[in-house]
Amino acid sequence: MKTEVVGSRALREDSWGKVFGQTKFPADVNLPNQIYGVVVRSPHPHARILNINSEEAMKLEGVAVVLTANDVPHNSHGVLFRDQPVIADYVRMVGDPVAVVGGETMEIAREAAERIRVDYEILPAIFDPEEAMKPEVPPLHPELQSTNVLYHLPIRRGSMEEGWAKADVVVEQVYKTQHVDHAFLQPEAVLAYLDERGHMVVQTATQYAHYDRGEIAHALGFRYSQVQVKTLAVGGAFGGREDISLQIIAALLALKTQRPVKMENTREESFYSHSKRHPMTMYYKTGAAKDGKLVAMQAKIIGDAGAYSSWSINVLRKSAVHATGPYEIPNVEIDSFAVFTNNPYTGAMRGFGAAQTVLAYESQMDLLAKKLGISPLEIRLRNCFQVGSITATGQELTSSVPLDQCLAKIAPYFRREVETP
Amino acid sequence: MKYYQPQSVNEAIEIAYSSQGIFLAGGTDLVLQMQKRKIQPKALIDLGRIPELHEIKETKEYIEIGSMATFSEMGKSKLIAEKASSLWLACQTMGSPQIRNQATIGGNLGNCSPAADGLPPLLALGTEAVLISGEGEKQMPLADLLGQTPLLSPGTLIVGFKIPKIHLLSGFAKLGRREALAIARLSVAVALELDGSKVGNVRVALGAVGRRAFLSDSLAHVLSQREFNESWLELGISQIQGVVRAALGDRASAPYKRVAVAGVFREAVASLRRQGGLDK
Amino acid sequence: MMVIECIVNDKKYVLEVDPQERLLDVLRNHLGLLGTKEGCGEGECGACTVILDGKTVNSCLVLAGQAHNSVITTIEGVGNRQSPHPVQKAFVEVGAVQCGFCTPGMVLSAKNLLDKNPHPSDEEIGVALSGNLCRCTGYDKILRAVKLAAEEGK
Repeated sequence: MKTEVVGSRALREDSWGKVFGQTKFPADVNLPNQIYGVVVRSPHPHARILNINSEEAMKLEGVAVVLTANDVPHNSHGVLFRDQPVIADYVRMVGDPVAVVGGETMEIAREAAERIRVDYEILPAIFDPEEAMKPEVPPLHPELQSTNVLYHLPIRRGSMEEGWAKADVVVEQVYKTQHVDHAFLQPEAVLAYLDERGHMVVQTATQYAHYDRGEIAHALGFRYSQVQVKTLAVGGAFGGREDISLQIIAALLALKTQRPVKMENTREESFYSHSKRHPMTMYYKTGAAKDGKLVAMQAKIIGDAGAYSSWSINVLRKSAVHATGPYEIPNVEIDSFAVFTNNPYTGAMRGFGAAQTVLAYESQMDLLAKKLGISPLEIRLRNCFQVGSITATGQELTSSVPLDQCLAKIAPYFRREVETP
Repeated sequence: MKYYQPQSVNEAIEIAYSSQGIFLAGGTDLVLQMQKRKIQPKALIDLGRIPELHEIKETKEYIEIGSMATFSEMGKSKLIAEKASSLWLACQTMGSPQIRNQATIGGNLGNCSPAADGLPPLLALGTEAVLISGEGEKQMPLADLLGQTPLLSPGTLIVGFKIPKIHLLSGFAKLGRREALAIARLSVAVALELDGSKVGNVRVALGAVGRRAFLSDSLAHVLSQREFNESWLELGISQIQGVVRAALGDRASAPYKRVAVAGVFREAVASLRRQGGLDK
Repeated sequence: MMVIECIVNDKKYVLEVDPQERLLDVLRNHLGLLGTKEGCGEGECGACTVILDGKTVNSCLVLAGQAHNSVITTIEGVGNRQSPHPVQKAFVEVGAVQCGFCTPGMVLSAKNLLDKNPHPSDEEIGVALSGNLCRCTGYDKILRAVKLAAEEGK
């Protein structure tokens, strides 16, 4: 097939504006008479707010407003479930917003934020998902689930009994991955204002302008048609801009003060406020026959959802679906869990749950190869998906499965010595 | 906050006395601390406009480096490359080009981070620090100065450094989490006199293994006056691991640094051999 | 407040600033030169890179007073659509731009390198850009673009 598009080189139109520094990112837009918003965030991972005293902050000249949970018309947001407060009166993680200050300058707003006194009743916090998933542990979101297990996906294929019976070698290991921050280079920033129609206009960098629009409308009690979200240049996202960050808070400040509102996270605030990659604990047991063919795999994957659901269900679903890697295994038992804890909430990040399991299943392949006395390349060639393969979820692959060709290409560069068992 | 830009050292000292301000060198640490409100000075005395503090020169006995010499100026200096190569090496890897263009050797001492890149080489080279205050000028070994708490009394200005011109080969290596923009997790500077295959006096300084960079007396003692060969290197490695063990105790980083220092020491010695033309 | 004088992109300015302000704040808030970006505010990322008296610096770590009597080049002073700087042209042609937030700093570091060293080695290019982080990780194309710009200049 010949086309004018595929295979032809195109220059990115947006790159011209970027090389001259003309492109507008959200920190680069301003309006006359704007006020500056700063968020006060919880230093505690689990706490109830008893009282917020903003007297000292309000005494400062140039402080326009201090907002707390009581000021939010509908105090919830979230991409899957609205389980995350816009401004919290009950804290589930370090970094939960507990108050917001609007000031005439960024300096005044920051100074005022430091003067706000919050009394917390500190509650016991739980950081280990395996501990948190026990049925006797009180749930962090009783309105969603009666335990901290937000999600469990079991995948079954074949018979484990038959599988283990055929296994000549078995490798059993635990793998763990850590939180990772996207660290997109442009920290979150927003400009929010009411236009001449009384509609809320929010200019920001987001991966989901349409979601943001619904979330802002919901929280403020606006109709969908009364909210406009304009996406400016996005300075990196990598999944970290899928959840709402400052958008609702800025809009709320604009609504309360009837003035344009500018907000900009520092790098530190950015780290505290947006989602992280899920840390996962992966229990793997994989068996192979003497001929190098995989015969059985059992995997239990526990993903730390942190304080709020965000995309955890979808992420842990993807982990489960990818748990065998690109290898055909006739007998499979996979259990994938997303579990609430008081850690920073976790969500979308490059790979979306598929990245973590690579560590587990590829390490298992290397260890099995070693036990079988064949090369790491050989064991992959003997098991990799091809057209006609059936995955653990029962899907038949009908076209475009060129992994064998890919492995063949790297074979000449592959010089690892095969260790004899 | 007041901001002063004195044109001479004397003027700077006078302003420091009258304003109770603090000295601003390159600013790469101080500006950050001000931003984070960790330091809120009454006044800043910017030393950037005092020409004599920027000089790098050779005198009869010393290589003299003004406190306001930047890491890139030192890193491009032929004099330092040839006669104080450990310092020159440290200047190549400290921070990033932008930081090196701004950060100064005086500021490196004044801020005195445990990981300060410039201090282990200066210590190994037996450097004297030149200080000035309302009470006059004073010269003292940098090693002694680093033993003082507080490091400098208020109103004291670091004028510069004098590296004695005894013929020393010196090397430096640093372990960071990545190549550029990495704060040293561990750094080692080695300086020694070499007579044929025999080592004379040796000085070894370590960074990021304690509150401040320090010179190790025990390493100097054990490694001086010996044949410079593979067993000297092995002896150095086992000794320096002991020094790190003693300095870090049961700190969380101890098990890692104890092992890692072997490689860093080996690399510092290799750089010394390269810089000294012993190896290609 | 204090008064500073400086030349920014060939234009002379006399500005009244707060001595706490950083050069970055002066450029963005006083002069409206928004091409200089703040990514980390602590001298790690290089998005705020400008050329000060012929040397690249992180403008988030330079105080306004330190820029007194200096000559500064920001991204707004390097090329335009009618006559892009060779580095800018190469960045577009090679595809060295993704999100674009690091781009102004990258371009300035690269321009300053080529001003001083028109024919840099690969290693010299790498060192010159080592203070500029890109999170979309287009480093490979960025390095290629600088190389191309150097070759075009031959």
